Amino acid sequence: MSLWILDKGAIAPFVEGLMAEYRVVGPKAKGPQFAFGDITDPAQLRLDYNITILPPKKVLQPQYERLATFTLGEDPQVEPTIEAGPTVLFGVHTCDLHAIRLLDKAFSEEYPDAHYLKRREQTIIVGLECLEPCDEHSFCKSMGTLTTDEGYDLHLTDLGPAYAVDVATEKGKTLLSQYGTVREATDADIRRLNEVLGAKWPRFTYRLDFDAAELPALLSTAYDHPLWAELGERCLACGSCTNVCPTCYCFNVTDEVNMHLTAGERLRRWDSCQLDEFASVAGGENFREARKARQRHRFFRKGKYIYEKFGELGCVGCGRCIRACVANINIVDGFNAIHGTA
Amino acid sequence: MSKPKVAFFDFASCEGCQLTVVDALQTHLDLLDAVEIVQFREAMTEKGEDYAVAFIEGSCTRPSDEARLFKIREQAAVVVALGACAHLGGVNALKNLHPLEDVRQWVYGDKAEWYETYEARPIDAVIQVDAVIPGCPIDREEFVRVVKALLLGKKPPVPDYPLCVECKLKENVCLFHLGKFCLGPVTRAGCGAICPTHGDGCEGCRGLIPHPNENAMKDVLAEAGLTVEEAVARFTMFNTYQVKDRMVEEEAK
Repeated sequence: MSLWILDKGAIAPFVEGLMAEYRVVGPKAKGPQFAFGDITDPAQLRLDYNITILPPKKVLQPQYERLATFTLGEDPQVEPTIEAGPTVLFGVHTCDLHAIRLLDKAFSEEYPDAHYLKRREQTIIVGLECLEPCDEHSFCKSMGTLTTDEGYDLHLTDLGPAYAVDVATEKGKTLLSQYGTVREATDADIRRLNEVLGAKWPRFTYRLDFDAAELPALLSTAYDHPLWAELGERCLACGSCTNVCPTCYCFNVTDEVNMHLTAGERLRRWDSCQLDEFASVAGGENFREARKARQRHRFFRKGKYIYEKFGELGCVGCGRCIRACVANINIVDGFNAIHGTA
Repeated sequence: MSKPKVAFFDFASCEGCQLTVVDALQTHLDLLDAVEIVQFREAMTEKGEDYAVAFIEGSCTRPSDEARLFKIREQAAVVVALGACAHLGGVNALKNLHPLEDVRQWVYGDKAEWYETYEARPIDAVIQVDAVIPGCPIDREEFVRVVKALLLGKKPPVPDYPLCVECKLKENVCLFHLGKFCLGPVTRAGCGAICPTHGDGCEGCRGLIPHPNENAMKDVLAEAGLTVEEAVARFTMFNTYQVKDRMVEEEAK
């Protein structure tokens, strides 16, 4: 919609202003790493972060959440509970912005998810353009997620002493005009922005050996590839790869009742196709018993199934699954191995 | 509906799990509305024998333990293993790694022959166990959840997935990224990943998950810098009874 300039010194007052009206969630230090968390002091906000352990999807689909409360007995009652409030999600990298767009589709098409959608509706997203790779595992360039022109309300690009702020929505515009001290971008600012954006591309060197658009077709011939058995040997089936994935959205639902068995609540938490129990059904049958079948399923979700369902690849190249895997299973190596032997 | 009568028993153990039960009773007073405790040496003087549910802490380490276990099994409709010693054999089973005579000499010296101890075993090696509450000690909230499930006649909700799940969902920094060691990828969750959350690697007190990839775990530990002896020490801390035979097999290779 329009481009504005926000001095770096104006970030703290901007965030402080937001904190009065919104829950502000942004990247914070967590030991030597980073995690999205509630910002209670603008100094906590680390816009210089590389990557968070969990993606910001946890703000929209929390790890654990209560879906409903109920009473038991003669006249059972069910009351949905949606815990959502006005939130600003601040400093989201472009790979995660792409992932949220995908989650929006997953939670709104076919079976609209009231809990996700309510939170999504109340969340204003401030994106942050990536100017260098988070680390050696970032392969966003291959996945086409290195930049974006949608999926945010406001988007920041670091110009050195100031941020360029792209205003994409009415919500973003209101937020900026209400809490931000900005000036309109000049021609010189726009030239500087173009320079910065142009200079970033060569810095991203880690990538697939082939065009990611080939992935769905490539995988359609790879169901019986020997790679799966090899990964099955190494995989611990710990579920970390999917738990840190910004586009994985599977969950499990359980009921908990009180001690008197008169009332209870329905809960959901993140689930993972890598876990033993995931494809188990009553009677003890497990439809994806072998670890190799579960790893194959993950690769196929990311490179084929989600594409077939939503028209875009299920991987945004953030590299979190590579970092999280203690057994060093690497999705880029995996895809490249299949390509190399296809 | 009359309240189910419940009894607590202990075998070779530190009684820490029963103390955790006492603790849970203080924060969940409604537990006492739901069940009637008729025997609990740790916490009361009365001693009723008409129990329907038996919670057993501790491992079986003597022939005389077997007779007591059979008697409990005969009376109780439901037997629950309480904590790592009852569930796994636990730290007590570390002695199984050494010749029994040496162990007895070490502990009892010249009185060794006065004592009838033998290899430590989990109680399901002796009698049928209907449910387990894992951990060293047990988690008090999980104890409450299991009791509720038993009251409903449902399978207790003890997770079958590994600790890494709870640790990741808490967004802890992975201990392997900090140069530490952890059995989280092969250990049953349910403790809220309490040790890794406080910076200590998991030692496996809740037992291994149903299909642990032990070979991959050993590779990961080796790559992280653990020697074979150190890796074995980690695996056997609580799970000697479960991994000993395989270890002996491997050593023979």
